[in-house]
Amino acid sequence: MTDTITAPTIEYLLLSPLLVVFGAAIVGVLVEAFAPRYLRAAFQVPLTLLSLVAAFALVIFVVVKDGVPNKAAAMGAVAADGPALFIWGTILLLAFVSVLLIGDDFVPSAVAVPGSVEEERAVSEGAAHTEVYPLVLFAVGGMLLFAASNDLLVMFVALEVMSLPLYMLCGLARRRRLLSQEAAMKYFLLGAFSSAFFLYGTALLYGYAGSIDLSKISTSLSSVGGQDSLLFIGAAVLGVGLFFKIGAVPFQMWKPDVYQGAPTPITALMASGTLVAAFGALLRVFWVALGNLEWDWSPVVWAVAILTMVVGAILAITQTDIKRMLAYSSIAHAGFILTAVVATAGAKQNSLALSGILFYLVAYGLTTVGAFGVVTMVRDPGGEAWHLSRWAGLGKRSPKLAMVLAFFLLAMAGIPLTSGFFAKYAVFSAAVSGGAVALVVVGVVASAIAAFFYVRVIVLMFFSDPAADGPSIVMPIATRGVVGFAALATVVLGVFPQPVLDLASKAAQSLFVR
Amino acid sequence: MNFASPAFWPPTTQEIVFLLLGVIAVGSAVLVVTTRQLVHAALWLVVSFGALAGGYLVLTAEFVAWVQILIYVGAIVVLLLFGIMLTRAPIGRSADLDSGNQIAALVVGVATAGVLVSVLVAGFRHAYMPLTPGAGAAKPLGSSIFRTWVLPFEALSVLLLAALIGAIVLSRTDIRGR
Amino acid sequence: MTTHYLVLSALLFAIGGVGVLVRRNAIVVFMCVELMLNACNLAFVTFARQHGNLDGQVIAFFVMIVAAAEVVVGLAIIVTIFRTRRSASVDDANLLKY
Repeated sequence: MTDTITAPTIEYLLLSPLLVVFGAAIVGVLVEAFAPRYLRAAFQVPLTLLSLVAAFALVIFVVVKDGVPNKAAAMGAVAADGPALFIWGTILLLAFVSVLLIGDDFVPSAVAVPGSVEEERAVSEGAAHTEVYPLVLFAVGGMLLFAASNDLLVMFVALEVMSLPLYMLCGLARRRRLLSQEAAMKYFLLGAFSSAFFLYGTALLYGYAGSIDLSKISTSLSSVGGQDSLLFIGAAVLGVGLFFKIGAVPFQMWKPDVYQGAPTPITALMASGTLVAAFGALLRVFWVALGNLEWDWSPVVWAVAILTMVVGAILAITQTDIKRMLAYSSIAHAGFILTAVVATAGAKQNSLALSGILFYLVAYGLTTVGAFGVVTMVRDPGGEAWHLSRWAGLGKRSPKLAMVLAFFLLAMAGIPLTSGFFAKYAVFSAAVSGGAVALVVVGVVASAIAAFFYVRVIVLMFFSDPAADGPSIVMPIATRGVVGFAALATVVLGVFPQPVLDLASKAAQSLFVR
Repeated sequence: MNFASPAFWPPTTQEIVFLLLGVIAVGSAVLVVTTRQLVHAALWLVVSFGALAGGYLVLTAEFVAWVQILIYVGAIVVLLLFGIMLTRAPIGRSADLDSGNQIAALVVGVATAGVLVSVLVAGFRHAYMPLTPGAGAAKPLGSSIFRTWVLPFEALSVLLLAALIGAIVLSRTDIRGR
Repeated sequence: MTTHYLVLSALLFAIGGVGVLVRRNAIVVFMCVELMLNACNLAFVTFARQHGNLDGQVIAFFVMIVAAAEVVVGLAIIVTIFRTRRSASVDDANLLKY
């Protein structure tokens, strides 16, 4: 032990997207502290959007400058590799469109029905909630770090950086406050409970391997003998924490409640960004740290995948609330992605499965943000119209909007010519060539069940008569842009998916850094 | 030195001290879970955390022990007591503190404890650690944090800022009603 | 000696888990989560001694800070919900049904 501390080496360029997002969040806090109230929104919205764009540009710059990196940065804390950068790009893109939804939902007080007293009140108070922008940036920064963490401690801290702002954002809905606050409390208590499990799993793996570095855990699998039960229990307890975050059955109970209660733009962010980040972390743990243990964990993941697909699809049928229905559909989609997580066998097969997962995450993320964007547009006097009966006859009242939503739902069902088709094809074909044929059969059956309730909503919109006092359609320009962009992306990825597929397979080629 | 076969009897001073602390920690933890009085639960939590801090000291993790006292006993429990006060929880016995699923929860708990204890005991039956003081002092820990763990440490500062801002936002939302 | 510590940690984790499942008051549920985090910390510090490296102690330190942040957020949420509902019971919060 010397008296001087050797300075750590930090690869600032590789970390720059992360630093930009966190830096912008801190600047946002300063804006809250010093800018006058009426100017805050005018500062926060461009700051948030610009920082996300800048971070995205930096991700591209890193790849263009030195090619796809494949090393552990910042003293081994952050893995900078192909999948991490691809996931970073995806999260930043999804966060950008979700933030556009927020800009619409909170700030110009479009929540209230135009012309009502409530709108006036909301206008006078609307500027008070500009803190949501830095909070969202903190959460997005946490997502970036979570998906790229190279040891379990960084992963835990990132999990909390991602989750704590989201817990609070869930409670900030302007309408249906009780529901929203309850969602925040449930999410918080269950989230804290699950992170305790994550941590105990980390402790057991640390006890087994003597290190929490993912690659060192991997190498210790062959060198440590006689403590296999410790390893298995540790991996299982750690898995509970991770499965909770992606909402896999039997740890899905928070998802419908939280998705319903949270403000819709935040739901869009959670349904897209958090899911992407959580899958990034899950893959890292299961493939990098526990990759050599595959024969032991893959039956468990099989069971979880089957349960998740089937339970998600079946429970979605019984829902009468559009946000809850989308939540259960998100559970089912997590199950579809899990089918490809199982499909590991050799490096070539792994990179095939990984690129399938990456493509699925992009396609599903954009579609789901678009669907939630449509949800924010259909309004009752008391806020968004969530109950499905209110959506009856929307096709006659507002054909374009109904067509777009129908298109999103068909994409989630995986109809050809939509991005969802190629996404499902990519994960299922990876699973088949990985030997998980039975899993794919269950997946196809679950897709068929899921298609049933998507079609039910479409039938309801187009083939029933609109109620006399039906919901009004509010179309702010930014939301319209988001929905249009998501629809365009769903078409383009469905007709011409090759560039993104190539990008995903290039990112997946080198697999995760070890 | 030979750590391979420590004699279990007679117990060393460290073992006796630790056993006492362990009994206190588990006993007060059970009381946290069973007591009928909210404030008592918080106070038993102090006892449990304090006993654990003693355990860390026996393990020669001095820095962690003092941080445990400062943060857990000094900050977290005080915050929890504030929370109890702000939610006007009844001082004294309250009947409806438990939900109905005690039996199921007990079964789950006993099963968890059984699995974990058997796994840990099986894995480390013959393990013995040399307890030499000094390794857990602030200096080696500090240089480790600011070198190997510098990125999570910075992320931690971001986390604290986010929590701070969020708490302010949440507590301010209700002002408009007044 | 190591086993004593690990058994204590496992017991505390299980007790905390039972508490989360049994208790109805959100603040007490949260106390039980803190017990579980403490159990993790004890395991980390013990393993740090066992493996003769400092990582476990560093992690325990990190976990404490994270727990402090969690408490801040959790209490903010609980106090907010109490202001609108006048109750901090987990079971009363059941507008959200399956």
